[in-house]
Amino acid sequence: MKEQLASVKKEFEAQLKRVSDLSQLEELEQTFFGRKAGAFTNLAKQMKDVAVEQKKAIGEMMNEVRTNITKELEEKRADLQREEMKKIVDIESIDVTQPQLPKEEHGHIHPMAQGLKDMTDAALAMGFLVEDGPELESQYFVFDSLNFPPDHPAREGMDTFYVKDHPELCMRAHVSNMQVRLMRKYSEGGTKPMRAAYPGRVFRNEDIDATHEHTFYQFEALAVSKDINIANLIAVMKEFVSSLYQRDVEIRFRPGYFPFVEPGFELDIKADIGRGEEWIEMAGCGLIHPNVLKEAGYDPNEWQGLAFGMGLNRLIMVKYGIEDIRHFQSGDLRFLKQF
Amino acid sequence: MLVSKQWISQFTTIPKKITPQQIGIDLTMHVVEVEGVIDEAQFLDNVFLGRVESVQKHPNADKLNICTVAFGQAHPAQVVCGGSNVTEGMLCAFGSLGAKVRWHGEGDLIELKKAEIRGVKSYGMICASDEIGLGEMFPKKDEKEIVDLTHIASAKDVGKPLAVALSLDDVVFDIDNKSMTHRPDLWGQYGMAREISAMYGSELKDYAPAKIKVQETKHNIDVSVKDTKACPRYMAVAIDGIEVAESPAWLKKRLMSVGVQPRNNVVDVTNVVMFELGQPLHAFNANKLTSNNKQLTIVVRKAKDGEVYTSLDDKEYKLTKEDLVIATKDKIVALAGVKGSNNSGVTNETTSILIESANFHAVTIRRTATRHGLRTDASARYEKSLDPNLCELAMRRVVELLKEVSPKSVVSSTIVDQSNFTLDQGPIDLDINFVQRKMGVDLSATEMVRILTSLGFGVKEKKQILSVTIPTWRATKDIAIREDLVEEIARVYGYDNIAPSLPTFPIVPPPKNALRDVETTLRTLLAHEARYSEVSNYSFVAPELLEKVGEHTKDYLELENPIAKDRPYLRRHLRENMLEMVEHNLHRFDTVNIFEIGKVFKKELEGEEDGQQHVLPRQDTLLAMAHAAKGDTNPFLHVSTSFTTVMTRLGLVVHYEKKTLDDVLVHPGRFAKVFVNDVHVGHIAEVHPLTAETLGLDARTAILEVNLSEIVPLLTEKTQYQPLPQYPSTERDVAFVLDKEKQHEDIAAALIKADPLTVDIELFDVFTGKNIPEGKKSMAYRITYRSDEKTLEGKDVDVIHDKIVAMLQKKFGAEIRA
Repeated sequence: MKEQLASVKKEFEAQLKRVSDLSQLEELEQTFFGRKAGAFTNLAKQMKDVAVEQKKAIGEMMNEVRTNITKELEEKRADLQREEMKKIVDIESIDVTQPQLPKEEHGHIHPMAQGLKDMTDAALAMGFLVEDGPELESQYFVFDSLNFPPDHPAREGMDTFYVKDHPELCMRAHVSNMQVRLMRKYSEGGTKPMRAAYPGRVFRNEDIDATHEHTFYQFEALAVSKDINIANLIAVMKEFVSSLYQRDVEIRFRPGYFPFVEPGFELDIKADIGRGEEWIEMAGCGLIHPNVLKEAGYDPNEWQGLAFGMGLNRLIMVKYGIEDIRHFQSGDLRFLKQF
Repeated sequence: MLVSKQWISQFTTIPKKITPQQIGIDLTMHVVEVEGVIDEAQFLDNVFLGRVESVQKHPNADKLNICTVAFGQAHPAQVVCGGSNVTEGMLCAFGSLGAKVRWHGEGDLIELKKAEIRGVKSYGMICASDEIGLGEMFPKKDEKEIVDLTHIASAKDVGKPLAVALSLDDVVFDIDNKSMTHRPDLWGQYGMAREISAMYGSELKDYAPAKIKVQETKHNIDVSVKDTKACPRYMAVAIDGIEVAESPAWLKKRLMSVGVQPRNNVVDVTNVVMFELGQPLHAFNANKLTSNNKQLTIVVRKAKDGEVYTSLDDKEYKLTKEDLVIATKDKIVALAGVKGSNNSGVTNETTSILIESANFHAVTIRRTATRHGLRTDASARYEKSLDPNLCELAMRRVVELLKEVSPKSVVSSTIVDQSNFTLDQGPIDLDINFVQRKMGVDLSATEMVRILTSLGFGVKEKKQILSVTIPTWRATKDIAIREDLVEEIARVYGYDNIAPSLPTFPIVPPPKNALRDVETTLRTLLAHEARYSEVSNYSFVAPELLEKVGEHTKDYLELENPIAKDRPYLRRHLRENMLEMVEHNLHRFDTVNIFEIGKVFKKELEGEEDGQQHVLPRQDTLLAMAHAAKGDTNPFLHVSTSFTTVMTRLGLVVHYEKKTLDDVLVHPGRFAKVFVNDVHVGHIAEVHPLTAETLGLDARTAILEVNLSEIVPLLTEKTQYQPLPQYPSTERDVAFVLDKEKQHEDIAAALIKADPLTVDIELFDVFTGKNIPEGKKSMAYRITYRSDEKTLEGKDVDVIHDKIVAMLQKKFGAEIRA
């Protein structure tokens, strides 16, 4: 038995020296440790025939041999694996610039929706609630409640879309239709201050060309409180514009006219849209006209408000350098996939 | 509107140190938007008054001529000229070598050099008005027109620098008309002078032309105003001894500086008063208003429907009974407030005129001008609600000027004045505190009074209250309440001088807007997870398109005045316009995945209240998704799976209930109702193959449309956590063939219910075609078994699995595959 063990060990070590890759090592392992016919396994099986008094000594010896050759085997395996790994730099080299195939489509959010979101996020962060309302609206909310006289030019059919059999309705020409709606909804009968922003789609009866659309988007916001003045309006606009552009933006106020505010202003921002720094018209704003406050259920002697609004299409066109306003409603994926 | 610095300087003093650019900025910041500040002579170096001596066709170019131009040198210059109106003898703006011009009025300045144009030498250029910065003064009627100075300059000045020949030494401000629609008082130079005087604190000269002296009563003027609402004031006077002639140079210069072409002394005088004061005037040939030369008849009345008016430029207009006209007994002599007629205009032979200085109702004039597409300088002013008091001032001024430009003229009638107006001039009580609070500035009462007074307001101060009288020129509609006065004070004070200060508000979070939040989340999920792109369609839809998908236009709200005649209906769905977009995009892309979130309009359903005790048509927000890909024979699943995915993200459960429908739009075998949390919220279908063809869809297209307004209330915050299993699970696959009509959702439900130990099932293969009988399909599911009490052994699972197989056979007629 002893001799057999020694010879197996010798044989193993001899063969191990000749092993040059992992598969040969695998073969060697089988030759000696294979379950059925491994040389060492066979020896182990003979243990049961060993005389009792020898069992302990032989057993110990066998264990020692097993431990040794297993160790040699594992060391060899580790060596060979290290060798092997050196080759994969070539074998498994890849093109790191190639995309995963097949190509997957990507989805895109409409630039207008993104613009509206940026604006409403800025308003939300300043404590304004956000709510949209009807696009087909009563003339009452679009004009009457906003201090538009009955014969104001904006009401003419050449400016505003009307609906057959419903003379009291029109497609809203501005999102200002939400002013009185929201003040009524959230002022608790003219007893609570409120802040609201209302972005949305508006309609004007206008021929379409590269700079005109009959369907476009506006963003408006208002705030009502017991003490609101021009200095507050200027400060709120500064904050809002800075929040929107994430930097300090120079702004200026100049006189402007809208029936639902008094005084009314045009707000310009200083920006470079490719021609050097210049003043760009951005928004209309003002202190809410007392007639509008009254219509909304506030006592105008006690409450004041500010409102500001702007068209979105042009701002977004300026932001991205879009040359034709018609792209927004075109549904053309060549346009939409750029955003 | 153009405002001339020299003209303004007649009425007030502009401080010398203030540059024209600064005046432009100051006007913008305090009054109205200035779009440009134009230095008349800025581009006129080396530009001379020239005379075209000869014109010959260019041998090598149809549209060019070879001209010689005299410009004060020993020899005329030869130039190649493309001007469409060039003629021999014409006085022109000649750009000699070295002049800097702007080609076609655009781009950078180019210095003129010797040139050879199609083989002919050219030494300079006959200029168009916009090439030398005079576009506002001499508006072009067509693109290739050169500026014709024959009737404007004097032939003896040929060879003088153009700036000298035309005395172009003024600065002109170009005002955006849209910024002064609410200010009737600003439509003349004097009104602007008033603002400038208030801005700079300089004195404003009175506008006080001499009173009219009646010299003889050769004529009797009979004015009959039939509609005093449409015509609150009508003044008229006759002047005889008129000698129609060219206007003096100063008058022509005034008119040209504001972009008006001089005609003759009578017309020019009426124009100059209109541009000075903002009050339109009209001069009639008095002989055309009478049958006996004594009695001049003027009737101010509404037209009859269909009555014809012929304009000064010989165009005919069919009037309506809404139009106001000036007539004699038998004919219309003017469209009131808009334009005169060729039957009564002033000609070179006219010696006797009637001057009209009237006030007309703003809306009447605006509607007439719009109705007939006839907007004039007069109508533009009337539609702003002019002060009727201007009529008299303008009348006095025009008579004063007529005597100057036609010295033999005599006032030959009494002055008729039919006046029916009142103005509310206040006074308005203005609390000084109120002004300070509204401005957020502790402005002194003295400064408030100074500003108001400088703008013409009458102010009496008693304690803390200013009693403010509105001047007539601001009282027609512009100023009515104390807030209006705050604006006057604040804008002159200067908005830039007001220090910003944030308002105080209670610190409370704004109410949530669930619909908006869902829309925002959906956009992100649809675009970035489901990989659909967002589109935006018009709210209007075309009848042809509706017809193609089997919709009835009678169900639709229709625009009264659609701009796009082809899209008059208000959409009830998003899908029609969506499908049109799919069709467009399939020409360029193999795959089209799009979605839209938008409102639709249903007249039969009740929506929000309209503020007047009624309700609006309902306007729910819908979501639509469409998918088409070349080669995808079953696009339905792309849409249904994507929708389920995003709804699952929102914590909602979707199921599709198959329906067979005989319909134009939907594929009869590929249509389902969409349920979210068991609420029916919309539909999904593949487009019917025949309709797909009429729509021109190049690939099978599936579309889903659900009502977001109905989904929003279903949202809850619930997300239930399941503890991790304690014992391992075992998976078994089962594959079977069954009737094609059997639905996955039913099978899945039966599998999961089959035994408490089936904890999960997953469909991993569906197959039809080869080796599968007609009308059948093969399905394969992976079933996961698990117990919460022990590790399942093979034999436990075998029992359940056999039970499930039996169930599939019995309930679904499934043939189990090996």
